[in-house]
Amino acid sequence: MIDIKGLYKSFGQLQVLRGISLKVSDGEVVCIIGPSGSGKSTLLRSINLLERPTYGEIWIDGKLITPPDPYLHFDVIRASNTYRHMAQERQLPPDSPEDLDIVRRIKEQDLLKPREGRPYLDLMRRIEREHRVDDHYTRRRIGMVFQHFNLFPHMTVMENMVYAPMHVNKLSRQEAEQKALTLLNTVGLMDKKDVYPATLSGGQKQRVAIARALCMEPEYLLFDEPTSALDPEMVKEVLAVIKALVESGISMVLVTHEMGFAREIADRICFLDEGILVEDAPPDVFFSTPKSDRAKAFLEKVL
Amino acid sequence: MQFKFDILIPYLPQFGSALLVTLQVTISALLLGIVLAIPLSLFKILPVKPLNWLAAFYTSIFRGVPLMVQVFMMYFGIPLVTGLRFNAFQAGTLIFAMNSAAYLSESLRGGIRGIDRGQFEAATALGVRYPGMMKDIIFPQAIKSVMPSIVNEFISLLKNTTLIASIGLVDILRVGQSVQTATYRAFEPFFFISVFYYVLVMLLSLLGKLLERQVNKSDRH
Ligand SMILES: Nc1ncnc2c1ncn2[C@@H]1O[C@H](COP(=O)(O)OP(=O)(O)OP(=O)(O)O)[C@@H](O)[C@H]1O
Ligand SMILES: [Mg+2]
Repeated sequence: MIDIKGLYKSFGQLQVLRGISLKVSDGEVVCIIGPSGSGKSTLLRSINLLERPTYGEIWIDGKLITPPDPYLHFDVIRASNTYRHMAQERQLPPDSPEDLDIVRRIKEQDLLKPREGRPYLDLMRRIEREHRVDDHYTRRRIGMVFQHFNLFPHMTVMENMVYAPMHVNKLSRQEAEQKALTLLNTVGLMDKKDVYPATLSGGQKQRVAIARALCMEPEYLLFDEPTSALDPEMVKEVLAVIKALVESGISMVLVTHEMGFAREIADRICFLDEGILVEDAPPDVFFSTPKSDRAKAFLEKVL
Repeated sequence: MQFKFDILIPYLPQFGSALLVTLQVTISALLLGIVLAIPLSLFKILPVKPLNWLAAFYTSIFRGVPLMVQVFMMYFGIPLVTGLRFNAFQAGTLIFAMNSAAYLSESLRGGIRGIDRGQFEAATALGVRYPGMMKDIIFPQAIKSVMPSIVNEFISLLKNTTLIASIGLVDILRVGQSVQTATYRAFEPFFFISVFYYVLVMLLSLLGKLLERQVNKSDRH
């Protein structure tokens, strides 16, 4: 399960994500839609740490993949110098109204500083030690497919596919090639294994990119507008491959502008606007009776 | 005025071995320069400020000091301070290599900058670690765009190595000078040397043009 808790992301002064919380259960397909610039890619890229959250935590299968966020742990806030100063040595019982009020103020006004004293640091370290996993562990388990494919142009299709399994997962060349062939077969590109990406059509490149991600046997797959850079006649072949993956039961988060496709395959639709998760509903509910005005306006424009 | 190119004939063996010295210095300096340029370009792009400064400082030294002074420094100056002993060949090769590294690291940095961010992201998303990513995915693509600069550097090295005559290494220029001293004829030997360099440089330029076309032709996506 992917569990995103209170995710904020800013680029300098620009707040792109503003408190996103979202869960993706095993085997679930979640489609993220929303206007351009609403933060869809940033949210997706945070899940495999291509972007580092400003605040918030991401948990994957009970492991913390981001640094712990003190604002999400009341006991960490209470261990800080800031809390101690604000409580002015009064012995406030935890969860008393006064105590909760101070915690809320510290959280809302972002009052914690890096130097918050020993007990605070010890608690942070304990959370890290007990739950945190390293970036490579995370990325190995999460596959990503990009809008512009990002195949390695100096490697053949086969080399593209076996590179990471061999160098990251330490498979032998033979094992890696075996797996690559099977996957190339499922995306219907067996005959292209020895060509360079430059000779492929957009649709073929994207199918190779999907197969390349699958070679790592990921438990989760992220797609960032996988068909947006394709000529219309090639969209179908890529969507067909994605649909087959949905049926295989892999968990998926997909950013897309293909509303019909999202409606067809998604278990849930998440509508993002200006960095806020405005709606999170099953596709039938979302598309027939959107609750918010922003979602209504968006759907009117795109449908 | 009559030309007497036949006076050069007795000196041809000397020209031959001098040519060998010129090429040896040039090629070893170029290869060593490429090897040094790789870590240097890494220093320039890694997000570590002190390394960036160090690499920028290194490059500025070789930009700011005349080549002849660099050669003298390496051959006469450095040994006095450090106690290291170089012969003229070693000193020449080393200083030219360091020089090339400064220049090539700059274009290698440009080549790396020119690589689509998606390449880094795809490798990262696949769990590839930084050293492997640079070695197998980024550098092979960057080198391709740097090939024309390597040929340019080859050309300037070839010409600049005439400076090693000044620290006593017998290269082609030096043989020319000794022909002049012995025969009192200056035009023929230097004309011969000019033609020699000219032809070699033209051939290399041609190679550079071909490589450039090759690089531009290849599809980046
Ligand atoms: N690395 C970055 N540095 C600065 N600003 C960024 C960066 N990445 C994204 N942004 C900004 O963050 C905002 C959200 O970007 P994001 O790519 O997440 O939007 P999106 O919903 O995916 O849009 P689109 O549908 O156009 O792909 C945009 O205003 C974008 O300019
Ligand atoms: Mg996007």
